[in-house]
Amino acid sequence: MGRSLEKAIIPVAALAVSLVLFGAFVAAAGANPLDVYYDMYRGGFGTWFSFQNTLQRAAPLMLTALCALIPAHLGLIVIGGEGALLLGALGAVLAGRALGSAPPILAATFMMVAGAAVGGVWVALSGAMRTLRGVNETISSLLLNYIAIALFNHLVEGPLRDPVSLNKPSTFPIADAATIGNIPGMDVHWGLVFGLLACGLSYFLVMHSVHGFAARMIGGNVRAAALSGIDVARLTIVLCFVAGASAGIAGAVEVGAVQHTANATLIAGYGYTGVLVAFLARQHPLAAIPVSLLLGGINASGGLLQRTEHLPDATVKVLQGILFVVILASETLYGRYDWKILGRAAERKSAAVVPHAEPLAPAAGAEPTQVKGVA
Amino acid sequence: MSPELLRVDRLQKRFGSFTALDDVSLEVLPGTVHALLGENGAGKSTLVKCIMGYHRPDHGQVWLGDREIAPRSPRDAQKLGIGMVYQHFTLVPNMTVAENLVLSRARLPFFLDWAKEHRHLEEFLATMPFQVDLRSPVRSLAAGEKQKVEILKQLYLKSRIVILDEPTSVLTPAEADEILGLLHQMARANEVSLIIITHKFREVTQFADEVTVLRRGKRVGGGSVKDLTPAAMAEMMIGAAPRSESGPPRASTAGDVRLRASLLSADDDLGLPSLNDVTFEVRSGEIVGIAAVAGNGQEELVEVLAGQRQSRAGRVVVRDVEYRGTRAALRRYKVRCLPEEPLRNACVPTMSVADNMAFRSFDEKPFAVARLGLSRRAIVRRAERLIGEYRVSTPSPDARIGQLSGGNVQRAVLARELEGDVEVLVAANPCMGLDFAAVAEIHARLRRARDVGTAVLLVSADLDEIFALADRVLVMSEGRIVHETTPATADMRTVGQFMAGHAIEA
Amino acid sequence: MSAALVTVPLAIVGGALRVSAPFLFVSLGECVTEKSGRVNLGLEGTLVMGAMAGFGVAHATGSPWLGVLVAGGVGAVFGLLHAWLCSLPRVNDIAVGIALMVLGTGLAFFLGKPLIKPTAPQLPALELGGWSDVQAVRAALRINLLLLAGVALAFALRILFDRTKVGLIVRTVGESADAARALGYNVTRVRTLATAAGGFLAGVGGSFLSLYYPGSWNEGLSSGQGLMGVALVIFSRWDPVRCLYASLLFGGAGALGPALQAVGITTGYYLFGAAPYVLTLAIMLGTSSARRTLAGMPAELGTAR
Repeated sequence: MGRSLEKAIIPVAALAVSLVLFGAFVAAAGANPLDVYYDMYRGGFGTWFSFQNTLQRAAPLMLTALCALIPAHLGLIVIGGEGALLLGALGAVLAGRALGSAPPILAATFMMVAGAAVGGVWVALSGAMRTLRGVNETISSLLLNYIAIALFNHLVEGPLRDPVSLNKPSTFPIADAATIGNIPGMDVHWGLVFGLLACGLSYFLVMHSVHGFAARMIGGNVRAAALSGIDVARLTIVLCFVAGASAGIAGAVEVGAVQHTANATLIAGYGYTGVLVAFLARQHPLAAIPVSLLLGGINASGGLLQRTEHLPDATVKVLQGILFVVILASETLYGRYDWKILGRAAERKSAAVVPHAEPLAPAAGAEPTQVKGVA
Repeated sequence: MSPELLRVDRLQKRFGSFTALDDVSLEVLPGTVHALLGENGAGKSTLVKCIMGYHRPDHGQVWLGDREIAPRSPRDAQKLGIGMVYQHFTLVPNMTVAENLVLSRARLPFFLDWAKEHRHLEEFLATMPFQVDLRSPVRSLAAGEKQKVEILKQLYLKSRIVILDEPTSVLTPAEADEILGLLHQMARANEVSLIIITHKFREVTQFADEVTVLRRGKRVGGGSVKDLTPAAMAEMMIGAAPRSESGPPRASTAGDVRLRASLLSADDDLGLPSLNDVTFEVRSGEIVGIAAVAGNGQEELVEVLAGQRQSRAGRVVVRDVEYRGTRAALRRYKVRCLPEEPLRNACVPTMSVADNMAFRSFDEKPFAVARLGLSRRAIVRRAERLIGEYRVSTPSPDARIGQLSGGNVQRAVLARELEGDVEVLVAANPCMGLDFAAVAEIHARLRRARDVGTAVLLVSADLDEIFALADRVLVMSEGRIVHETTPATADMRTVGQFMAGHAIEA
Repeated sequence: MSAALVTVPLAIVGGALRVSAPFLFVSLGECVTEKSGRVNLGLEGTLVMGAMAGFGVAHATGSPWLGVLVAGGVGAVFGLLHAWLCSLPRVNDIAVGIALMVLGTGLAFFLGKPLIKPTAPQLPALELGGWSDVQAVRAALRINLLLLAGVALAFALRILFDRTKVGLIVRTVGESADAARALGYNVTRVRTLATAAGGFLAGVGGSFLSLYYPGSWNEGLSSGQGLMGVALVIFSRWDPVRCLYASLLFGGAGALGPALQAVGITTGYYLFGAAPYVLTLAIMLGTSSARRTLAGMPAELGTAR
């Protein structure tokens, strides 16, 4: 019981600590922290208008978070959501133009599928390189991001460019039939629903499906997974494809619902913010939903902060950085403390979490295990 | 300078609620060999680590000569002239022997003149009874040579009191005799005092002058070795007269060939050949033991059979069909594996006991629903049954398996692997680090598997275990099978020579 | 056409000499850190912070070298932060790197807002091309003093690792933490110092960007040099002098795009800009292998990968 309690308390505490540190930071920059907090609340959640703005910003974050979250259960740290989103957007534009005369649902679906396919392949590359050649997936996915940005810029300003768009180079717009509209009764596009669905499906996939179990075996101890006959390479590549597809759909949604075309506005860091969401949510697909809302709200309030507190737009990025660091540092608190004070009998806490301590008896006699080739 | 008297006075050490050492005293007279005898978990390692400065005892003192000492780190102990040769080497694998020796010195100059250091080392080596190549990287040395380097390191540092932790666990019988004999001679010449941690009576009776027996953290006996019989020592060690290991004789003769390796070759992690054309077969209803010194390819052999390492050439055949360790093949041909160090190789430490027990079957009915969903309840229910049957001591099926003791982890893995029909079982060092009771239990289960017709391949570095269990014994050296014999007809010296790679098949 | 045959290679050489300094310092810094057994992926953030801090200090004090020093100091602080976070149990090294990348860039952009318009004194350079009348040659052979310092540092680091007690200890910690502990060395302290040193060098590398080339501060200053430094170290098999050669190579590759643009080849500009990233990826593919551990890799890094 202590373990589930700490899963709720520690993230909330980390959030609080981050806000305090951020408050100190803005105070040093000359603003009143309480005003800043209030503006952030107002800009993100205070009115129905601002809340819808938050929802709209949260939608792509849910999808790009999954791009980092799903491979995390395999033990991989993938940060290629940015590249997958951009290339997925391009794929969606091509599909959206091609299907000008199709019924809207079909056209929109095809756009999503195209975005998912391209994004999926892009991240699957990182997965394949890792599992087949041992290339570190964090570095390869980051490099692929830069390559994707270069490809994107090249295609947007070159072969796919719409000659009409002089000031801001953009691709040809998608057909009207392919656009994605708003959820009835709201000013938020259907992308929000896609995000929610994706998180729900991922939850089932990771926590309650056979494939998720196998993935967690790989992430927990790849040797044990190999021993049990799991095809590590195949599952890794497939799940990386799924992760990339999710980010690709985010790109398709941005094209289909917001921009109706692909241009440099899409290079907005959704991919990296998605990584942050994944870590804040401790890689849990359902937790990614409220965390996306939180970060969407913070982003939404950026404009208000600029106008009323005269803080530069990088302020939001600083808060994100603080959040990221504090959440990571808080990982060390899990399993350390006895939550007996809350009236529950503590589990048998092993010494395993205390560094360099002797393991519990009777294994105390055995020496720590060593590397290969040694008795 | 000759060694001084080392005295340990009423040492006590606790880790949380667990008492590792309880009021232990002993004396090591100068120039003697003192054996520390005890089961795994008796406290021998902890005692020695207190002497070496790894741990601070909660109560009690350590005396060297007439001064009380309280080393706060192994480096402090080294400065006092006390050194230790560890069971799992503390050499840096990617560095050369020379670098490792120089590294161990307490005082180093800022700029290292390697030419000069090499010269000094060669002069030093010339006075030593055994030689090693200074320029070879430690990772390319065999286990016996690594052991020699560790011992040389202590002599290089001029340690007067040398502690050896299970020194012969990685050596062939001949190497063990050579090294222990040499050290005994040095003790006789009053150049060193030795403390040897061991659980082998033969070593105690052959090389030690005095012995201290520990059980569950307490000193339960000891004295001069010539006054004690092995039976008496064993009784002190386990608290009762030892039962004989041999089980009932095999019920029937072996059946058809279940597992065959043909010209199997594989490389190790560095890309160097580790298995070279290994060929053998295991029949149903027999236990084939592979005896080998660590580092001769048997770890890689088990990994290939377990599907954790790809082979370079050759085939593994199960029931006349080529076997590649896929999940479908594992299921169809009922191949199971008990790798060594189960927590590292066969379990996910952060997953629960129940989940770990489900590794073989989570994608089958009734644990999988519609081939996609998982039934948590079915998994936990099955785990509860296995936990009872195999007496796995765990707070609950949902406890993390990493929290369990070594013996219980192994029991959990056994429960998983021996479930249902097993046609081929590959076991590697299944009893390493376990207490006698667990060892007897596991041996009994292996025998029972054999008796119902499983083909069992047992890879072990413990010759006693191999000869107690196996029906046929293969010796592996340098990645090849070099000798075959049976327990009844084996000549131990020949076996030892083959293990060391020395003998030629007559 | 013949002009292009001369201009482009010349520009590549010039690029190599001009642009390689940040690569060099970052890779040398990461080399030191990785030799101690730790990976620091946050160097991108450190680089950007160093660039901003160096620029700011140079602008305020009028001394570019003071700017370099402060940039290094700021980098060292980030290195210490990385080391402290990684020393906490259960904290993932790679995630910490990413987090510091975000924090570093965010802080740098925030604090650097007032620095976008102003100028700051630049670092001096040696005019090795003074003998020529051709402007392009002069430009290509203008070597920055910081680059020369970096070259000397590369060789000095190799000597440090091969022939000194400090280098031996760092290598031991990076190859086997267990052995190091058994010998009484404080593994955490060694890694902290190594990471701080790595951060210092990355900060210095960043100051090169803002104080020499391109020579000003803006938010698009770095384009992944911090991260490519990590790949460079792998490519160089953790040898400082090979880091030098690799940095020159990458500097040259990075100059390909602008060089071609200068001779009028504008198509594919972005694609040429991607050349360093593609090159890095190709190198990693070529040198990594699923089955074998990389020769020369400090063994303790295996746990981080």
